[in-house]
Amino acid sequence: MAAKRSQAVEHRAVAVTGYGVVSALGWGVRSFADGLSAGRAAIGPFDRFDPSRQRTRIAAQVPGPAPRLPLAAAAARRLSWADRFALAAASEAVGHADLDPRREPHAIGVFFGSSTGGMLEAEILYDQMRADPRHARVSKIASQSPGGPAEAVARHLGLMGPVETISSACASAAMAIGCALAALRDGSVDVAIAGGADSLCRVTYAGFNALRAVDAEPCRPFRASRAGLSLGEGAGVLVLERAAHAAARGVRPHALLLGAGSSCDAYHMTTPEPEGEGAARALAAALADAGVGADAVDFLNAHGTATPHNDEAEARAIRRVFGARASRLPVTSTKAIVGHLLGSAGAVEAVATLLALASGWLTAMPGPEPADPALGLDPVIAAPRHLAGARVAVSANLGFGGANAALVLARPGEAR
Amino acid sequence: MSRAVVITGMGVISAHGLGRESLAAALAAGTPATAAVDRSAGFHPRGGARTAAMVGPVDLGRWLPAAAARRMGRPSRLAVAAARMAIADAGIDLPASHPTLTAVAMATTFGASSSTETLLKEIRDEGPEAASPFQFTECVANAPTAQVALSLGARGANFTLMQGEAGPLLAVARAAREVSSGRAEMALAGAVDEVTPLLHAILDRFGALAQPDRAGVERARPLAAGRNGYTLGEGAAVLVLEPEGVARARGARVLARLGGSAGANDPSAPAGGWGSGGAGLAAALSRFLTAMGGARIDRIVSGASGSRRGDLLEGSVLKMGFDRGTLPPVHTPKGIVGEHGGGLLAAAVLAAAGCPIARPSGCDEIDPEIGFLAHAGGLPEPPQRTLVTALASGGPAAWLLLERP
Repeated sequence: MAAKRSQAVEHRAVAVTGYGVVSALGWGVRSFADGLSAGRAAIGPFDRFDPSRQRTRIAAQVPGPAPRLPLAAAAARRLSWADRFALAAASEAVGHADLDPRREPHAIGVFFGSSTGGMLEAEILYDQMRADPRHARVSKIASQSPGGPAEAVARHLGLMGPVETISSACASAAMAIGCALAALRDGSVDVAIAGGADSLCRVTYAGFNALRAVDAEPCRPFRASRAGLSLGEGAGVLVLERAAHAAARGVRPHALLLGAGSSCDAYHMTTPEPEGEGAARALAAALADAGVGADAVDFLNAHGTATPHNDEAEARAIRRVFGARASRLPVTSTKAIVGHLLGSAGAVEAVATLLALASGWLTAMPGPEPADPALGLDPVIAAPRHLAGARVAVSANLGFGGANAALVLARPGEAR
Repeated sequence: MSRAVVITGMGVISAHGLGRESLAAALAAGTPATAAVDRSAGFHPRGGARTAAMVGPVDLGRWLPAAAARRMGRPSRLAVAAARMAIADAGIDLPASHPTLTAVAMATTFGASSSTETLLKEIRDEGPEAASPFQFTECVANAPTAQVALSLGARGANFTLMQGEAGPLLAVARAAREVSSGRAEMALAGAVDEVTPLLHAILDRFGALAQPDRAGVERARPLAAGRNGYTLGEGAAVLVLEPEGVARARGARVLARLGGSAGANDPSAPAGGWGSGGAGLAAALSRFLTAMGGARIDRIVSGASGSRRGDLLEGSVLKMGFDRGTLPPVHTPKGIVGEHGGGLLAAAVLAAAGCPIARPSGCDEIDPEIGFLAHAGGLPEPPQRTLVTALASGGPAAWLLLERP
């Protein structure tokens, strides 16, 4: 019976055969992994735009210089920063997966999450239109959409399968990865390039400041002194395929995506439902989809924005799902290191979760301040924690408008 | 679990007014409803496009109380009113019977342009400290979808899709997946977009919009000779999706069954432009039709908009995707409702339910490169299987199959 159940779960799971990241820690997984291991916060002064009149003046900006892309000059000029992040992360992921996309382009789909997309470029276009419409570079309208990064990836890799962008605020990328999982399960695609990309821009920076949701200091998730989030930018991309497809091309999975779940609070446009009921339903749905119980989860990569409301509601959701175990379940938030990547957060944090599963070391949130005892959680603080034999983990994201999403990831061969 | 999914309700707000009756009448007549765009800000080029298919001063009060409307941007107001209209059309009070199993999937092409523009203006003119929390909240792309969920108490998955012209079909496909898989017992799916003078001016300068002819007539001519761009449109359409068994059990009127969906991409398309990959898209369409059992398609509701190159690609895909000589009648509603996803979606469902769609006025001259025109309309028999197509600039494509229940 157990073997049958395991086979059923294995059938619903898909293999993660490659991944790539661009974050404030640098371009590529190596710099990301090193920064997470060291607990090195990459949040500080930035110059993507002039923040001097903003209420806060720090962010987690991707460092320069950007690697050169093998593109014609005209095509490169149309790219937004988010497009560039997406292309770099996707190229790394595809290389990591040893995948030649041109061998089966019609069978590979792109499923991306993005919230701001090319908003930074749209802001420049707006300024140009205000200054002198005759000289505005209106071609920038082509890359302003959150759908742009997915299209750029599909174009660059020569893909002919479906392209789908979810723009559900901070839950976007996790929801997109869930869509990719569904497409692999129902046979719509054989391989999915799934992830997300977003860049810093004035609109979100000023907007979150207007909501008093940004901390003037680097964010401190799950601490009593937490006072808001730190905005970041970047991209994360996973190459997903059915295990049999990976095996047929002689590739071993780095991890498994066991399940995904999503929900909506339907409570408030910006404030999470305070009891965590909606977030808990997303967590429970992901576990049910994965076919694993809450007791099988070894750690949680939380949304953990460090806003007082989010962390409190998320803690309640975790306690609803994990019960008494919540106080012993290791919880971390990579936002303390790379900031809040908005629509791409779910993808970058999924990669962080995979890295922790692979290494057995869970990223610590920097700083000496202890966890907020009122939350009833076990946050990993100050020093990374070794989790001997960690096999299954959950990555969660909660967004504006009450959109919630969760992913269940596991080490290869650990579907149970 | 895989359940048949049917459409049991529709709410629509367009340049033709509120509700599907006014839209159906306009589609049958083939007459667009356009109005002059405010060009006073000086964003527009000399000459150029002057009109758009805009929602006039409609009273949403029946669907949206004024107090609630004040807390929403315009796209949110349109989306929520259309969603409530759809729920009523489906004969459902509210999804209170299974709120956690009611999903929402909405598409938008440019998001909340007016809120974004207002926010940018505040930041530019008065400094970032003047940024309005309300405008920020409403400029986020998923604001209308979230407002629909808030308004109806829909606590299932909440998707906002942004893939240009393909987005609305992807949204319906995403919602249908939620219902067919059993993750949702009901879903609302649709699209919302708005026209602003700034967006209109940028798209005009980009060369996307229909230009006035020598007589000063500005008209989108989908698939026809002389087309030189599309008419920007706005509005919202929301569909109610249910498992067929549930809908039948409650005696619901079924507008159409969702037979299937597919997506593809043309990697030769530049950002914001059209590629030359008709063969690849046609192969994907053929695979989709084969997967749907290969049964005869007897109507096509095309996303052709009047775009010079976009329509050329659409014509090429349809000709290659169907065997020689078997191309069914093709309708081009964007020549009537303008370029907005909700308009295409609503027209497609109406067509599948048997409503006639006339050839848009001014579309009578064949483009030899395309080789066929939109059907003149007046088909006597309602279609059994309707293919809905949407190619997006930038590469993506999506197709839906609607069946007569």
